[in-house]
Amino acid sequence: MELTINGENKKFDEGLSLEELIQSLGVRKETVVAEVNRKIVQAGERSRFKLTHGDQVELIQFVGGG
Amino acid sequence: MMAETMEKIQAQDTYKINGKLFTSRLLVGTGKYASNELMAQCLEASGTEIVTIALRRVNLDNKGEKTLLDFVDPKRYTLLPNTAGCYSAEEAIRVAHLARATGISDFVKLEVLYDEKTLLPDPIATLEATQVLVKEGFTVMTYTSDDPVMAQKLEQAGAHAVMPAGSPIGSGQGVLNPNNIRIILEKLKCPVLIDAGVGSASDVAVAMELGVMAVLLNTAIAHAKDPLKMAHAMRHATEAGRLSYLAGRIPKKLYAQASTPQKDF
Repeated sequence: MELTINGENKKFDEGLSLEELIQSLGVRKETVVAEVNRKIVQAGERSRFKLTHGDQVELIQFVGGG
Repeated sequence: MMAETMEKIQAQDTYKINGKLFTSRLLVGTGKYASNELMAQCLEASGTEIVTIALRRVNLDNKGEKTLLDFVDPKRYTLLPNTAGCYSAEEAIRVAHLARATGISDFVKLEVLYDEKTLLPDPIATLEATQVLVKEGFTVMTYTSDDPVMAQKLEQAGAHAVMPAGSPIGSGQGVLNPNNIRIILEKLKCPVLIDAGVGSASDVAVAMELGVMAVLLNTAIAHAKDPLKMAHAMRHATEAGRLSYLAGRIPKKLYAQASTPQKDF
């Protein structure tokens, strides 16, 4: 299946959970916030949250700002 | 008589934002530093307790790199996520939701901009977003222009702090219209902070002497030739300005008034 992650299209195996996606991307899960199709998925729900073809995933974290 | 120490004066001069107690009256941003290490040293030197941060997409090409939170300890500082770069109420609300979903802070520095050149706030969208986020239980600190009417509208909407710009963001022009700030201070009961526009320690002292609760700045430290020295300077300026405000300045007079007795030579 194809997912759009932070605006980039990438291919993944079917049945991938959001938690597994974050792990496979090497992103530090404790500091990341995830949105799927513009809806926030809370950290505790990520392992149960199965991604499907065409999902738009946004992975957001804190950066410097004023 | 023992002189009052700075520590004792400060201990008696705390303030609250939505019930949370603070002592330092300098809020510092974490953007634009040459390195995260330098930023962390500047935060330390500034004595700040409230630190603004932003939210952006994770860079997927730099896996496992250190993040801002490796340099800014959320146990030590109250983190104030901003909605910088948002140009509608909807976007700003989305960013506030994302920030809260981190579980790190329910404070938000609400900033809804109108155009990229001036970075002036969109007053109508700012008011709408303030109303929504207050209802949703955020601690809302709203960035606004120095318009006294807008400041009152934001307070009525429930903003926990109203933060007029001294001058445009990052412009370093200081407080351009102190009279508007004076009117805002007269009209509002909630904390009023100067957010943005200060460039030097004297700008900060001037802002504090007006009686604002605190000053929020970023560029003035981050882009100084020596950011660490400027962080120290800003701390002193905030404290000096606050003390000067509390102490009460002498009235300005047209003619000289001798400091030395003029008779009995």
